[in-house]
Amino acid sequence: MSTNNRFWRAGLATGAALALAACSSGAAKTTKAAEAPLVIGASVSLTGDFADSGKAVKAGYELWADTVNAKGGVLGRTVQMKIVDDTSSPNQVVTNYQNLINKDKVDLVFGPFSSLLTVPSSQVAKRYGYAFLEPAGGGPAVFAQKLPNLFFVQPAPVVKQGDVFADWVLSLPAAQRPATAAYTELDDPFATPVAEDIRARFEAAGIRTVYKQVYPAETQDFSTIMTKVAAAKPDVLVGGTQSEDAYGQVKSLVQLKFSPKFMFLSNGANSPVEFPDKVGAANTAGIMSSGDWFPASKAHGSDEFAAAYVKKYGGTTDTIDNTSAEAYAAGQLVEEVAAKTGKIDNATVIATLHQGTWPTVLGDLSWDAVGQPSGSFALIQWQNGKLVPVYPAGVAQAQPVSPKPAWGG
Amino acid sequence: MHALVQGLILGVLTGGVYALMASGQTLVFGIMKVVNLAQGALVVLGAYLSYQLFVSYGIDPFLAIPVTAVVMFALGVGVHLAVLRPLRREDRAELSLLVTFAVALLIEGVIGVVWNTTRRSINTSYANDSWTVAGYQITVVRFAAFALSAAALGLLILLLHRTRFGRAVRATVQNPESARLLGVRAERVAALGFGLGAATAAAAGSVYGLLYPFNAGSHYDLISLLLSIVVLGGLGSIGGAIAGAMIISVSSAVVASTISPSWAPMTFFVLLLAVLLVRPQGLFGRPA
Repeated sequence: MSTNNRFWRAGLATGAALALAACSSGAAKTTKAAEAPLVIGASVSLTGDFADSGKAVKAGYELWADTVNAKGGVLGRTVQMKIVDDTSSPNQVVTNYQNLINKDKVDLVFGPFSSLLTVPSSQVAKRYGYAFLEPAGGGPAVFAQKLPNLFFVQPAPVVKQGDVFADWVLSLPAAQRPATAAYTELDDPFATPVAEDIRARFEAAGIRTVYKQVYPAETQDFSTIMTKVAAAKPDVLVGGTQSEDAYGQVKSLVQLKFSPKFMFLSNGANSPVEFPDKVGAANTAGIMSSGDWFPASKAHGSDEFAAAYVKKYGGTTDTIDNTSAEAYAAGQLVEEVAAKTGKIDNATVIATLHQGTWPTVLGDLSWDAVGQPSGSFALIQWQNGKLVPVYPAGVAQAQPVSPKPAWGG
Repeated sequence: MHALVQGLILGVLTGGVYALMASGQTLVFGIMKVVNLAQGALVVLGAYLSYQLFVSYGIDPFLAIPVTAVVMFALGVGVHLAVLRPLRREDRAELSLLVTFAVALLIEGVIGVVWNTTRRSINTSYANDSWTVAGYQITVVRFAAFALSAAALGLLILLLHRTRFGRAVRATVQNPESARLLGVRAERVAALGFGLGAATAAAAGSVYGLLYPFNAGSHYDLISLLLSIVVLGGLGSIGGAIAGAMIISVSSAVVASTISPSWAPMTFFVLLLAVLLVRPQGLFGRPA
């Protein structure tokens, strides 16, 4: 971009900010609004394998920028998001962050989508001393890097996603607990560990494993696996799933007419639009998963987020992708650090976020030294065609329904 | 035992669908000695067409087949005229690999632009229904898919054995030189044959879309499966394609249900290797 062009854009942005400030809160803020914009760079996948999720990340970042600018920006500085496409490629993502930092000289950076892209890009951020707030890279490889500048903006690492289900089941009176369990696990670093984590806790608590099967990513047909599940008659079925395999498992079980008393699917079942669409809305009843944001959440700024989302992108609050909420939360953190410290730079963000807990649309977040969040997900369940948080009590909007209703509601 | 029988049922029903997909592949090879790497992409395109008709107009994928088959037949003839017929050199068979792969990539790209990369599935009202027969579950969709595939294959075989066009096709398959001397217009047979292959892909696509979620990239999995089937059965033989499809489908379903689903994808490659060691021309193929 030519200097002229940049100057012109900055001028425009400042003008817009001035106008906004003048409308909203009178002349008092005009001196601050004249400051340089706060430019935040991010590389997201707008094409390639992660395109759909990447677009949801972009939607979240831009929505936050709009929301914060409508309130006068961060410390009076208008937020400008500079978003570039990495085509879902680990090479391109590195180039993108190098350019954002060295050439565009952005003030801050936010993360890309997926652990695959977060790992190399967080190294770039580390090299240049940038804080790395990343909403979508929570796999073990991310934290194994032991980076002090990285913060995973979700309540817990991916592998701990199922803990809340185990917490709930083990909190039930002995008579209501399942006695036997089956585990069907996708061979994937984000799926198998979730189910294995639950299995370890269940077995320690005396819940007997009657069937376990790890299946390859190419599996399209779940009827053979589910036939065996049905034959083993487990009280609880725990699926370490991603998306299509979750739909496949449910469809096969419906066809086999076997409905376990409890059913937890780590991913796929937490997709508000696709899941009922793929398995039939009536078959969702009672299925559990875990999540961090949901409509009508009482978390900090959640109402504002949901309303702004629907206003900007259309649809209803029930169709908002969690990924957008997670990206939005990264922005909220910047806002809060600035409000608390009165300044906004990378060293301040890194030092400040390592202390205390931070309220976001995802609930209160806090991190250990390597950026692993130390909270937990919420247990969510399909009730009357909607995903509602049911455990723990602090976030629950309804009682958990158990046993799970038969297929077809 | 129960799992084994359930696996067998699944294998046979799925095998019918595979056979339909592979019949187009083997037909094109038989007529033109062209390995059509675009057949998988054509199946996926067929799935998208019936998906769109279902979503936009509520047309059942089974009823959509006459429409999509005609469209895809025309597309197949068009592809042949545009990119395959101009290949007149002696290495036409080798060149056709590149050309049909390019067609596959083109179709994949167009699908990606029109329908994005999200996986789609066709969810009819009967998608999750099943019958219980003697303690075994038979899903309605899978049974209907099998029945339709069998009917389509039956039609194809009738066409090849009871019509003038069919006779010309079979003559070309057996001996292109003599067929030409006897007045068979080889290029016309080839164009129509390619169209017919695409039309079977349309029918197979509707069925495939009912059974599995698909996206633009699904054709890579499909083409490796289809090539294995036709090579196993013997290139150019419809009967071979049916036998190959059944062997592959039943063996992987049985392995999945009795040993482990992790081994199922490997099963047919092992079988393929074993057959080729003993009969390099495939089960029903004629020695070169």
